Amino acid sequence: MAATTRPFRNTVDRLDKPSAYYTARNKRRNRDEEDTQPEAPQVDPLANATTLYVGNLSFYTTEEQVYALFSKCGEIKRLIMGLDRFTKTPCGFCFVEYYTHQDALDCMKYVGGTKLDERIIRTDLDPGFEEGRQYGRGKSGGQVRDEYREDYDEGRGGVGRAIQDERMRDYDEEGRYVR
Amino acid sequence: MRRQLLSLADSPLRRWAEEVQNLAELVAENYDDDEMRRSFIDLSMQLHVEQPLKTPFLAAVILVANVKKQELAGEVLARLATETEGAIQKGEWRTVKLHLKLLACLQSLLEDEGIFPLLDELFSRAADLQTASSEDTIGTEIVKIILLTIPYILVASPGQLSQQKAAELMEKTDIIASEPHALQAIVDPFHPETQEQNPGKSQSLCMLLQNQLQAEAAKDWELKCLPRPWQMPLEDIELQEKLSTPPKHALPTVNIPTTVIAGPRALFPEMYLSVYADQDAESVPPLTSISSSLIRDGLVDTINILNFNRNVVARYLLDIDSYFADGTFVKRATAFDDLRNFPADRSTWKPEDVAVDTVFSQLFALPHPECKLVYYHSILTEACKLAPAAIAPSLGRAIRYLYRNNPRMDLELSYRFVDWFSHHLSNFGFTWKWAEWADDTSLPAMHPSIWFLEGALDKEIRLSFAQRIQKTVPDPYQALIGPEKEQDVPPFKFANPDVPFSKEGQEIGQLLRRKAADDEIAPVILSIQAQANSQNLDPYVTCTDVFMTAVCWVGSKSLSHVLACIDRTKARLLELSNASEASRMQVVTAVMSYWHAHPGVAISIIEKLLNYSVITPIAVINWALQGNESTSGASGGEALAKAHVFEIVSNTVAKVTNRVRQLYASDEADDEARAKEAQAMKDMFRTMNDTLTSWANGNKDQMIETGDGSSDREAMIQRWGQRWLRVFQRKAALEEAFLLEAAKGKDSMVVENGAGGQ
Repeated sequence: MAATTRPFRNTVDRLDKPSAYYTARNKRRNRDEEDTQPEAPQVDPLANATTLYVGNLSFYTTEEQVYALFSKCGEIKRLIMGLDRFTKTPCGFCFVEYYTHQDALDCMKYVGGTKLDERIIRTDLDPGFEEGRQYGRGKSGGQVRDEYREDYDEGRGGVGRAIQDERMRDYDEEGRYVR
Repeated sequence: MRRQLLSLADSPLRRWAEEVQNLAELVAENYDDDEMRRSFIDLSMQLHVEQPLKTPFLAAVILVANVKKQELAGEVLARLATETEGAIQKGEWRTVKLHLKLLACLQSLLEDEGIFPLLDELFSRAADLQTASSEDTIGTEIVKIILLTIPYILVASPGQLSQQKAAELMEKTDIIASEPHALQAIVDPFHPETQEQNPGKSQSLCMLLQNQLQAEAAKDWELKCLPRPWQMPLEDIELQEKLSTPPKHALPTVNIPTTVIAGPRALFPEMYLSVYADQDAESVPPLTSISSSLIRDGLVDTINILNFNRNVVARYLLDIDSYFADGTFVKRATAFDDLRNFPADRSTWKPEDVAVDTVFSQLFALPHPECKLVYYHSILTEACKLAPAAIAPSLGRAIRYLYRNNPRMDLELSYRFVDWFSHHLSNFGFTWKWAEWADDTSLPAMHPSIWFLEGALDKEIRLSFAQRIQKTVPDPYQALIGPEKEQDVPPFKFANPDVPFSKEGQEIGQLLRRKAADDEIAPVILSIQAQANSQNLDPYVTCTDVFMTAVCWVGSKSLSHVLACIDRTKARLLELSNASEASRMQVVTAVMSYWHAHPGVAISIIEKLLNYSVITPIAVINWALQGNESTSGASGGEALAKAHVFEIVSNTVAKVTNRVRQLYASDEADDEARAKEAQAMKDMFRTMNDTLTSWANGNKDQMIETGDGSSDREAMIQRWGQRWLRVFQRKAALEEAFLLEAAKGKDSMVVENGAGGQ
């Protein structure tokens, strides 16, 4: 309707766009691919996305709680809880798949950035779940962000695991300070 | 330029004249810069349809630019006329309204009668439509748009001519506007008992506007709340003079097709709801004032159009006073109690109350608002986060009004209230002044207040967990959160050896647990059937209860567990449920009984079982409405007084109606499939209507058997029946209308976006 040459842009920003994290990662990937396949026509993998990545959950947040909140944007087709690679316990993220793209966009707009289980959660459009992605990619099995986190987050296992390990090295087996 | 234009009037400094002049200067001086001119026009077209509260300010820029470079205004008008014509053709009535608003604000630079002839022509279409059918909604919508445009003409171009033309137009609209619309009764937010007064004295927006405008005409079109940013301060007297004799333009032709259409969104008469209706201090504009409609109209459009950025909308809610005339509101965050001490000639309207009121008008719009309900939740959350001290007290008064009037509200709206309230509290640490309702916890089990409290606490627990919620409420409420709510895994009834078929139940449980193949399960099923036959029990119903309960227990760890278990046993479940209607109802009973302390889980499982066609929608509905103690666990109509039962029935009905609408929207579906599903839907509504009518009239079998027809309990059940009946009669009527519209021909078919399906 408006400018023919410029891409359409609303008078205020939209909240149903992929995050900077996704865009940056994708750019990086595209750049890598450019060496082998220049000028390949780009298909936006999120154009019809029905899946959301949901982050910053507490390790204790249950599937039922996720259902209770995310059903407000539409019927949930599938829910995949993110698990610690080793312990197979929830590690603070999940994938929510809707039946329609619109439901996923609405969820970005209306639920992303609000609270679930008293934590502000983050949502991001996702090209779709694939086997293997339910596991944390951090060294100790959880999410990478929980390795080096310095703040104490009770809902996500205290401070980062790498930092916990580091601190543990200050004590001997009987718990005596050794340094 | 983009930044300046988009941020017009946003600043709390209110330097309107300066902002308008700077911008007008910039665009007039750079008129020859094609790029700049084009983007100004493009942006202007976008700004007034995306952020309509800024329309008067945009108009002021164009008016000032017009005296410097009249060609610019000419181009804007040409573009505006084209866009208006396009919007009328497509039946995008809100966009038409927003274009007309800008045109109205530009009335002073139009030749002759300006936009009045256009409004006259629009009116004649409305009149034709209304004459043809009393159920017509497009005509009512057009009249509403005309009435909302008139005030802007009169502030932009006051004087004899405008007043006279407005009076003529209003004389014509009166016939349509002052007649209650045929559909008004089904979208009234209130549903009082027959002997009660309607607390909102519900009026449609159209009727209100007609009366308010007449009152305003009598006051010489004061239109106090509207901004007049084209009025320059004294030091700019020279510019002001030029503005009063501007270069004039003829309004480019706007062709209106002989047949106008309803467009992409189904139209309904709009009812005016205010949650601050019964206060002793007037914290929002009264119904008699045109300001109530004008402010709300601008804000409602802003809210619905900018649904893609709730943060910006929340800012608008908090800054609403920036876009209206000085003195329209009291200072932000003024305490409600202070309003009583204001002198009589000063406004006592609290901007926070007006904003919150507007959001609730959408949250409680029938049949459904434009966006998903959760959107309106989210803007209240954001507004509360941005300015808790200002917004929280306003919300508190709104909540109290809604709680008080819950028994009189349409049941669907009462349910929306439960859903919003619990979700809202979940964003703010579940804090609420529960103490003030503590006495209500001892009301009878079927009282609407218990319905609300139980429903709200249950929904809070779903978003959190029982032990957490118990800590947030005073002692009297603990009885509403039974100890069974603390158990994440409900007990397996067949673990008790005294329960019939406990041995078989445990056996099936163990087999399911180790994922045994169905041929290992089959002998146990046969054994149950044989025993049931010998005890004169329905063999399939008995098996269904044992098997479905075992599936629930085996899958009780999480929804994924139970869904996986259902997946593995789907063939067996289908075989059992296909046996009879009684078996299908038993599936529902088993799930609802096992998860009775956690209805949210039960509802998710039922939803999946519906998707798998293990159960039918009618089985769920009969389970809820038949009032058989053995199935619903709540005897003789008590199920009607439970919020989660209403939820499961609403969800089930929505599933059916969405499916029908999808079939009609899809190109692939054939007419036969459509007709079949549509017929099934009609049958469903007829069954519901029959059952609910007998509850509502007090002649349901169970009521006649158990009561004397006069007890309080029966009166309450009857009232619940009436409230349910009204909701589902409305839904039936909406779908009936949809099918009629669809039958009229696929080209002009109305396909709704399904926002209300939630």
